Amino acid sequence: MKVREIMTKDLTAVERDVPVRELIFILENAEMPNMPVVDEDGKLIGFISEKDLIRAALPGYFEMLHSASFIPDMNQLARKLAQIADNPIEKYMHRDVLYVTEEDDDLRAADLIIRKGVKNLPVVDAQGRLIGRVRRIDLLRHLSGDDDPLA
Amino acid sequence: MIVTVTLNPAVDKVYWVDRLKIGRVTQEEFLTRASRSATTAGGKGVNMSVFLSRMGLENVAMGFVGGHTGHVVVRDLRDKGVTTNFVWVRGETRTNVTVLEKGRENVPILINESGSPVGSIELERFIRRFRRMMSRTSWVVLGGSLPPGVPDDTYLRLATIAHDAGAHVTLTAGGEALSLALTACPDLVKPDTREHRTLQGIALDSRDAIISAGRSIVTCGAGMVIISHEVTGDIAVSKEGVWELRSRLPTSAFKNLVGADDVFLAGILYKTIKEAPVEEALRFGLAAGLLSAESDEKVCRDLDKIERETASITVERVGGGSQ
Repeated sequence: MKVREIMTKDLTAVERDVPVRELIFILENAEMPNMPVVDEDGKLIGFISEKDLIRAALPGYFEMLHSASFIPDMNQLARKLAQIADNPIEKYMHRDVLYVTEEDDDLRAADLIIRKGVKNLPVVDAQGRLIGRVRRIDLLRHLSGDDDPLA
Repeated sequence: MIVTVTLNPAVDKVYWVDRLKIGRVTQEEFLTRASRSATTAGGKGVNMSVFLSRMGLENVAMGFVGGHTGHVVVRDLRDKGVTTNFVWVRGETRTNVTVLEKGRENVPILINESGSPVGSIELERFIRRFRRMMSRTSWVVLGGSLPPGVPDDTYLRLATIAHDAGAHVTLTAGGEALSLALTACPDLVKPDTREHRTLQGIALDSRDAIISAGRSIVTCGAGMVIISHEVTGDIAVSKEGVWELRSRLPTSAFKNLVGADDVFLAGILYKTIKEAPVEEALRFGLAAGLLSAESDEKVCRDLDKIERETASITVERVGGGSQ
């Protein structure tokens, strides 16, 4: 089956100059863990997740540590987030985006999601424009036969 | 690709009741129980999107949504095959309530909220997103009321952006937002005359007055204007002529009028996109709208049934071109 047939047809995305605080608002309200970044023609140019924002607000050495108890206090984290809140998200986004095209097989989407451990993948058309996303749950629902379990 | 814009969408909540207890009721009687209810995404552009998807036309619904009810709108649209592209705002998407009493479904009780306010930052965010869609869009639908805080010239701005990008525009709105947008010469217009029974300064109290108002709008540059005359009849005016539409259905047969007008316009748009002759488009639109009004379901999705129903509709040319 083609990706087009199982994807969630939603075009929620941000531009690269959107400030971090606005992205946080959209992630929270749209209930999405991450967001594609598009240019003025809707072409996919990046990807940014909650995790990227948390990483941006933490000290550089944090990933070398084994426990969050090394964070001096939450105020420090809040201060850092406040500092970066007006920065454009392009500072923190990934430019090497994992994606699938609408013509790809469901197998390719499943393979990427499993191997790369991502929650969802943007889907683009032949011109590279965002047309939807494949979520892990889309795959699970599709693989379980799209049947209504309560029917 | 078609883009529909509903800046002030809604959750449509419909209650069917056997008997509506209002006025002087006793303590024991004050509760009205609904025998059935339905919750769907609503708003003019949203309803048109649902119909167009049912007819197999890919389309994207855009606008503002917020809160729990915003998720209800987005989810319902996705379930119906519509691509969603909404800007999230603070506050809740409004809920519009319809109460249909058994035997009196043709005179429903409608309670519409005005919607959460939308600020200028959100509006500019939306307009940027709208522009982004234009390179892949052939038709834009602008529909319904504006949320509080959105200026009256917004449809004019959006129609101008669409035309500059080479897309056609369908507009269905009322009041000042409509009057201003008409200066952008939309290709297909259905004025919402539920609250304002005047157009271009003309009171719509007779068939001739409706034709005059329609001609005045077409003279300004609009492609075709459709104005409700009586509930089962409409008048269409374009540069090429004037048509009167009639149906066999008595209004007493109506079961659920919510969205029927939007399906009517979406039906005309569907046939226009398929390059059907104007009379066929009008007949199909009215058939689709009437079948939606005649059924409990908001949007009639049965293409064969609509095609059959067109046989019962007369479209009569009652006037020549307006040049």
